Amino acid sequence: MNVDIQSLGTFNELAHEGAKEATASMTQMTGIDADVDVTQITLMDRGDVGETLAEQAFVGVEFDFEGELSGQTALVLDQDSSETLAGTLMPGDEISAEMAKSGVKEIGNIMMSGFIDGWADYLETTIDHSPPTYIEGTGKEILPTSGDDSPADQVFVFKSEIEWVDESVDFYIYMLPDQDSLTDLMADHADAEADAIPVDKLHVFNRMTQQGTKQAAENVSMMTGIDVEAEVSQINFTRIEDIPKQVGTDRYVGTAVEFTDLPSGFLLVLFDEASAKNAAEALMPTAVEGDELTDQHTAAIEELGNIMTSGFVDGWANVLQTSIDHTPPRLVHDMGRAIIDPLAAQVGQHQDHAFVIDSRMRTDDVEFESEIYALPNDEELREALEELAVERAEETDADPEEIFQE
Amino acid sequence: MKVYDGSQTEQSSTPERIKVGIAEYDVSTNGATLSTSGLGSCIGVGLHDEESSVSGLVHVMLPVSEEVNGGNPAKFADTGVKTLVRELEDHGADRSNIVAKIAGGSDMLDFSKNGSGIGVRNANVVEETLSALDIPIVGEDIGGDHGRSIRLEGDTGDLIVKSANRDSKRL
Amino acid sequence: MPEVLIADDSEFMRNLLREILEEDHQIVGEVENGVEAVEAYKDKDPDLVMMDIVMPIRDGIEATDEIKTESPDANVIMCTSVGQEEKMKEAVKAGADGYITKPFQKPSVMEAIEDVVPS
Repeated sequence: MNVDIQSLGTFNELAHEGAKEATASMTQMTGIDADVDVTQITLMDRGDVGETLAEQAFVGVEFDFEGELSGQTALVLDQDSSETLAGTLMPGDEISAEMAKSGVKEIGNIMMSGFIDGWADYLETTIDHSPPTYIEGTGKEILPTSGDDSPADQVFVFKSEIEWVDESVDFYIYMLPDQDSLTDLMADHADAEADAIPVDKLHVFNRMTQQGTKQAAENVSMMTGIDVEAEVSQINFTRIEDIPKQVGTDRYVGTAVEFTDLPSGFLLVLFDEASAKNAAEALMPTAVEGDELTDQHTAAIEELGNIMTSGFVDGWANVLQTSIDHTPPRLVHDMGRAIIDPLAAQVGQHQDHAFVIDSRMRTDDVEFESEIYALPNDEELREALEELAVERAEETDADPEEIFQE
Repeated sequence: MKVYDGSQTEQSSTPERIKVGIAEYDVSTNGATLSTSGLGSCIGVGLHDEESSVSGLVHVMLPVSEEVNGGNPAKFADTGVKTLVRELEDHGADRSNIVAKIAGGSDMLDFSKNGSGIGVRNANVVEETLSALDIPIVGEDIGGDHGRSIRLEGDTGDLIVKSANRDSKRL
Repeated sequence: MPEVLIADDSEFMRNLLREILEEDHQIVGEVENGVEAVEAYKDKDPDLVMMDIVMPIRDGIEATDEIKTESPDANVIMCTSVGQEEKMKEAVKAGADGYITKPFQKPSVMEAIEDVVPS
């Protein structure tokens, strides 16, 4: 079973258009002015689906759909916001819990129909869906994937984020296709000329990336003495212009490198300022006065970013039995979104969509979190994966002593 | 793309804020402020027609659109600027009165070999496109190696540019 | 005391290596790229070079190659974050005598040095 980049792009656009349709329907019903912020396809562990949902009460609707594409779709928003939403349908004083629930069901139903209709039209077929079910849950538990038997299975998930600007309300649409249904569909609609990536290789690549994140986290722990754990690692596929939105506008410190071999691309390591300060100070022999980040701090961060970069990519190089060279790290200290922007733009010179490998690590011991973003050239990634021998997937380590035997 | 048109919803006494995302544009006709953030190599182009009180903002990412079929026009400097101008005119602006203020186009994390980074090229295309449309650039904060966020005040036509580690500028 | 040349573009790393080594070694130079490394080697003729790989202008592998070609008896230990097998093979080809991966602790540095320049 294969995926091809062209189809991924088409399907991402479809999902995006579907989300826009859904939003337009909502606007018609409620007068709410909302925007689709980001749509992306993510390859991730089933048990991690919904990890960006905060640990708070969410409500929404979900339904099953069936046809050329089958699966489940859910629309969710946090509970407090749902009352605000219901209030737009029933302007008045108090919104009871029952009224909020029925309001969400009504709006959710119309939105989700709009979402699915676009797919059906594109596929020139009908896609049937069940009546919507009202759902509730804390954080990611609300989603149909929670409680599934195989949390470590890797799945493709479509996610759209919709923002109701005036009220700062965020809606999330998750589409969870049956995986075989999705890959069959891509195979049917693929451009015969396009080269495809076997899905199992993408899965392996994702696992290697998870391993790389662990190695990077270990490197941080070794260097700083802070016990840092790898948290999330996933492969996102999204429009170029949606990439910067994945990073906030707060100030970050970090390093960026360009890869020059196969695959070429960029890798960015980011720390928010508090994390940068804590990490740097763990690296420095003597304490530094004051709250500001000094040159000493940033010099330490430059080296930390360097070591994390290597920790992250060395595994790929060793499995692929090649060398992956990169430029010396460039230190950055600016608004996060402005930092990733030029990298996304440089990748965007050749592609409309991109794979973004997104990894996070953190610790509970001190305030410390770090994010790694890798932006490979998509065609070159596909080529590199062609070279990937799946049996070598575990060969991520290299021992200098073996090679330097004297 | 969200268009804020005062006729559709109730007027509030204080102008509101319209957020423009990357590769997006929007227009305000009642003095509302348009804003966009995270400009690295991207350029924010603010247009203002004082007479008709129409303002617009586009956040462009790449210099020129190739043979993109059905691509997003706001993503590119050439089509983004042209689309925004047309949108202003649709909302009652007169091209001969429109002035432009631009910000962004930094060379932070520019890995290009010969100094022709995307920031520089974006700026060139924005300037060429505006020039071809006879729209003067009356304020600019372009280049450098730092990120920017900007706000275009719909009533005054001022463009406020904010950067980390720097005082804000009013163009 | 043996004389050491440190080549690394990271100020942090140069400081760290200096701290680790200065007790038992004399640091005769600290440089930031491969070109400076070759020049400093010719100038100071140290007993040992601690050579980073990823540096601007000229990388550590090329610098090592040049130094070892000119002076086969030179002792060069690669000191790098890159843990890639192919890179280690390149280092061997260039004539490197040892290879330490970052992050490291003082004992592994001392051990690697001992293997190359026994005291």
